Amino acid sequence: MHSIGEAMGVHAQHIDALWHAMLWVCGIMYVLVLGFLGLAILRRGRRRDEREVVHAQDERGLSMTLVAWTGLIVAGLFGLTLFSYFTDRALVQAASQPQINLKITGYQWWWQVEYVDPDPSRSVKTANEIHLPVGAQVSATLASQDVIHSFWVPNLHGKQDLIPGRDNDIRLQPTQAGTYLGICAEFCGLQHSKMHLDVIVESQEAYNAWYERQLQSAPPPTEPLAQRGQQVFMSSACNMCHAISGTDASASVGPDLSHVASRRSLAAGALPNDADSLFAWISNPQAIKPGSRMPIVPLSEHDLEALTAYLRTLQ
Amino acid sequence: MPARWFASIAAALMASSAAAAPTPPPAAAPQDDGNWAMPAKNYASTRFSELTEITSDNVAKLQVAATFSTGALRGHEAAPIVFGDTMYVVTPFPNRVFALDLTKPGLPAKWSYDPKPVPAAQGIACCDVVNRGAQYYDGAIYFATLDGQAIALDAATGAERWRVKLGDINKGETITMAPLVVKGKVLVGNSGGEYGVRGWLTALDAKTGAQVWRAYSTGPDKDVLIGPKFAPFYPAEKGQDLGVKTWPPEAWRIGGGTMWGWISFDPELNLIYHGTANPGPWNPEQRPGDNKWTGGIFARDADTGEARWFYQSVPHDLFDHDAINELVLLDAQIDGKPRKVLVRPERNGFLYVIDRTSGEVLSADAYSHVNSTLGIDLKSGRPIHNPEKEPKLGQVVRDICPTAPGAKDWNPSAYSPQTGLLYIPHINLCMNWESLEANYIAGTPYVGANTVSFAGPGGNRGEFLAWDIVQRKPAWSVKEDLPLWSGALATAGNLVFYGTLDGVFKALDARTGELKWQFKTGSGIVGQPISYRGPDGRQYIAILSGVGGWMGAIVSGELDARDPTAALGVANAVKDLPQRTTKGGMLYVFALPR
Amino acid sequence: MRRATGYGRRATVRSRSLLPVAVATVVALAACHRENRHFTAPPGTELSPPQQSMSGLVAGGESVEFRKQQGKEYEGNAYHMGEGKRLFQWFNCSGCHANGGGGSGPALMDDRWIYGGEIDEIYLTIVQGRPNGMPAFGGKIPSQQIWQLAAYVRSMGGHGPKSARPGRDDHMQRDSEQGRRDQPINPAAPPSSTD
Repeated sequence: MHSIGEAMGVHAQHIDALWHAMLWVCGIMYVLVLGFLGLAILRRGRRRDEREVVHAQDERGLSMTLVAWTGLIVAGLFGLTLFSYFTDRALVQAASQPQINLKITGYQWWWQVEYVDPDPSRSVKTANEIHLPVGAQVSATLASQDVIHSFWVPNLHGKQDLIPGRDNDIRLQPTQAGTYLGICAEFCGLQHSKMHLDVIVESQEAYNAWYERQLQSAPPPTEPLAQRGQQVFMSSACNMCHAISGTDASASVGPDLSHVASRRSLAAGALPNDADSLFAWISNPQAIKPGSRMPIVPLSEHDLEALTAYLRTLQ
Repeated sequence: MPARWFASIAAALMASSAAAAPTPPPAAAPQDDGNWAMPAKNYASTRFSELTEITSDNVAKLQVAATFSTGALRGHEAAPIVFGDTMYVVTPFPNRVFALDLTKPGLPAKWSYDPKPVPAAQGIACCDVVNRGAQYYDGAIYFATLDGQAIALDAATGAERWRVKLGDINKGETITMAPLVVKGKVLVGNSGGEYGVRGWLTALDAKTGAQVWRAYSTGPDKDVLIGPKFAPFYPAEKGQDLGVKTWPPEAWRIGGGTMWGWISFDPELNLIYHGTANPGPWNPEQRPGDNKWTGGIFARDADTGEARWFYQSVPHDLFDHDAINELVLLDAQIDGKPRKVLVRPERNGFLYVIDRTSGEVLSADAYSHVNSTLGIDLKSGRPIHNPEKEPKLGQVVRDICPTAPGAKDWNPSAYSPQTGLLYIPHINLCMNWESLEANYIAGTPYVGANTVSFAGPGGNRGEFLAWDIVQRKPAWSVKEDLPLWSGALATAGNLVFYGTLDGVFKALDARTGELKWQFKTGSGIVGQPISYRGPDGRQYIAILSGVGGWMGAIVSGELDARDPTAALGVANAVKDLPQRTTKGGMLYVFALPR
Repeated sequence: MRRATGYGRRATVRSRSLLPVAVATVVALAACHRENRHFTAPPGTELSPPQQSMSGLVAGGESVEFRKQQGKEYEGNAYHMGEGKRLFQWFNCSGCHANGGGGSGPALMDDRWIYGGEIDEIYLTIVQGRPNGMPAFGGKIPSQQIWQLAAYVRSMGGHGPKSARPGRDDHMQRDSEQGRRDQPINPAAPPSSTD
C-alpha cells in the first residue's frame, strides 16, 4: 500500500502542485519575515546606546524596501490566487469523459460500491473495495444511506461528502498501478475510524479479468465443511442481511458477500482477509467494531468453522 | 304523425350508431344462454348480459329476491358463477365454495366445500385475503386458494376431482385470481409481486390437473416460452433473453411480474391474452433496466403457451402500475378499416386500443387525471415519463397521479355493444411517494417505498365513466365520493350496475348515466355483479357484499389510519370508511317483483 | 483589602453552591441508564421469558419480574429503541405493518393485541410466528435484536417511557407524531379520522 502523500491520480497531482506552490511561496515569505524580524532585533540591539538618527538615504532605502515588500506580497497572493483558480479548472476538466461509472453508497460503517453499466445485467456490486484500470476516467456518484460520510482517497483526489437525500459526485483518474487507502473523512458515528476502503489500480487486463469474475457467481462449494457452511448461512441470520449471488440470499442491507474471499481486507479495513480474522469477525463482531450493525449471532464453534470455510470459497 | 316520424328517425339514428359500435368477436362472445359460467361472462370479457327482462324503465321496482351469508368477513371480490340451476360462490380466505340451489326459494346450499388452506398464507397477501371467483367448465368447478392450490370440483356433487399445489408461501406466493379454462386447460397465475415472487402463468389439464405448460414472466426466453414464433411489434421488445438482460444480475429471480388478473381468449386466432404485474421491488432504483417481461400484455398460443407478441405498458415501472387489468376483445372500425383489437383501461390512466393480432397500439388516451406520464409515443409504444414525478431514493416526490392502485385497479369494466360504451368503475387518487431501500427476505414484503394516497383533482375519489370507444372520449360519468373497487355489469336492458365502497348497489341508464335504482347492502361492495336467467325463466342480478380488498383493507384488516402509510398508503385516502361501513359477507340476488 | 465575611454568609454560600451540584448529579445519574450502550446482550437477556402465554392467562399465577426487567432494560434505553426502529425497516416489519398502521398485518399502534401486548409477549410473537400469517424470526434474528424490536413496537402504541424513544427522522411524515402515542388508546373510543 502506498503512502497517502504520493499523488497517484490526475486530480491528486493538480492538488499536489498547488500545495507545493503554496508551500514554497509561503515558506519564502516566512523566511523573509523571520529574517526581517531578526534584523530588527539585532539592529535595535546595536543602536541601543546611540541616539537614533534617521538619514535621508535610510528613509529612501526604507520606503523602497517597503514598496518592494508590498509588491512581493501582492505578487505572491495574486500568483497563488491564479494558481488556485487554474488548479480548480484543471480539477473540473480532468476525467471529463468517464468510461467507468461508480455508485458509492455510504453506510454506517462500510462502503457499497456499484459499477453502473448501461447494460444493467453487467453491473457489479461489491463492498469496501474499488478496482480501476490505470488511466481510466472514473465518475463516482456518492450517496448515503444514513448519515453524512465523506469519501477520501488521498492518493487520487480530495474529499467529497456523501449526504443522505442527495447525490454528490467525484471524478477520479488514477495514473499509476498500486493499492491505495480510502477513508471516511466525516465523523459518522462510533466506528468512523474503521470505515476504510481499498482502491486497487491495475492494468486493463487485470481489471477486465476481475470484472468478469465479479459478474459470475462463485462456484458451489464441494467440500463437506464448506457445504455445511452454506447451509448455516441460509438457515441462520446471515441471509437476512447479506447477499451471495448464485444462491437464494439476496438481502442488501449488509455488504454483498458474493466474492468476499477475493477482497484485500474485511470489515471495511478493520481486519486482514484471512481465515482467522474471518472467524473472529463472525463469532464476535462487537469485540472488533463495537456498535457495528452486525450483531453477534449465536452459533456453535463447528458451525462457525463451517461458515468460515464456506465464505473462504467465495473468490 | 310527427311523433312517429321522430321515433323512426331516432330509431334509424340509433341503428346506424349501433352499426358503428365495436362488437365482440362472435367466437369469443357466443349468444347469451342465460348462464354466467365465468367471471368475465365470456372469453371476450364483455361482462354483458343479453337478458332484457329488467330494463331502465322497470328497474326502479327491483327488489331483493334472496340473500345468503357466506360466513366470511374479508373482502368479497368474487363474481358468483351460475350454470343451469346452480350458483357457485367462492369466499375470501378460507376460500369455501358454496353451490346454491336456484330452484328453491332462499337458495339453500346443495353442497359446500372447504379446501382448508394453510392459515399462514394470510400473512403474505398484500391486499386482503380475497378470491376473484371460480369458473364452471364441462361439469366441473375450477378455482384457486390463497395458499397456492388449484382445485377442481364436480359441479353437481362438490366432490374433489383433483387438487394441485402450485405456489410456495415461504417464497411469498399466493393465488387470488379466477382461473380461466380454455380448450380443456386451466390457466392459473400467481400473486406476490410485493414479496419478491417470480411471476408465472401455468396451464393444467382440466381433467387431471397435470401441468401442461408454465410461462414465467422473467428470466431466459425458454422459461418465458419465447420461441421462434415470437413477433412483437415494437423494437424494444425484440432481442434475446431480454428477461435477463433488462435486469441487474439475478434480480429477475425475485422480479415480480405475477399474473393475478384477467385473461381473455380469441378462439379464431387461438390466442390467449393476459397481462403481467409490477416488477419488484417498488423502489425502481434497485432494478435499472426495462425489467421485461413485467408490466405488459402477452398474447400466447392457447395450446402451447408460446408467446406471439408482447407489449410493455410500463417499461421500468415506477409506480406499481401492474398491467393485469381486463382485456376486452372487440372488432372495431378504426380509421375506416376493420381491426381486431383489445381494449384495456390500464392502471397508468390510459385507455389502450391494441391490435390483438400484432400488438400494435392504435390509440392510448388518458381516461383519468394523469401527471406522471406525459403521453404514450405511438411510434415506439413507450410512455413518456414526467421527470418531476420520478421516485428518488430518500426524497419525497409529491402529487403523483394516478396513485399506486392506479386510475383503475383489477376491478373490471363492462362493454355494451348496444351503446358502444365501455363502462369503467375507477379511482381518482394521487399520492406522495418516498423510495427506501428494500431488503429481500423470502416470505416477507419486498417493497421499498412509503406512499400516502389522497383524493385527486376534483375531490371525488372515484368515478364511474362511460367511455365511447369510437369517439375516444367520455360519453358521461358519475362522480363518486369513495373510490370504486367493484366490477361493472352491462345489460341489454339499457342498464349498467356497480357497487360503491360503502355498500350501495346502483343501476344506471346505460345511455345517459341517470341513476335509476339503488340499494344499500350490509357492507361495502368490492365484488363483480352478474346477471343470469333463473330456472323459472326470470332475470336475476347477483352481487356479493363484503368490504375489503386493497381499498377496503382499512375496514377488513382493522387498520389504523393515524399512520397514513398504512395499507401501502391507501388507508389515508379512505380514512372515513370505517365510519361508513363495517365488515360483512352476504350474497344478494335481485329480481323484479312477480 | 480584605472583605468582611460573616460566619453566616460563608455558610449560605456553601449551601447555595451545593444545590445545583446535587441537582446535576441526580439528573446525570438518571440519564446514565438511558444513554448506556450495550452492544452485547448481558447474559441474562438471552433467556426466553419464563412463561410463554399468548393471552395473558397463566395457570398458577404469572410472574412479572422478568417482564419488568426487560422493559426497563430495553424500553428505557435510547440506544435499544433506536436500533429497534432501524431493524423495523430492515427486516421488513414495515412491509406488513406499515409504520404502525398495519396493512397485510394488523396495526401495531392501536391497543388491540391478538397475541398480547406486553414486551415479552411481543418478543415471543416475533420469535415464534403466529398461525394467521406472522412469520417466525427466531433463529434468523438474534435475541437482543428481537428485544429491541419488541420495545420499539411497544412504543408505537404509546407504552413505556417517552424519554428514550427515537426522535423524528428525515422521512415522509408518517403521522402527527411519527408513530408515537403519548398514551395508550382508549379501546371504547372509535379511531378518530383527524389526528
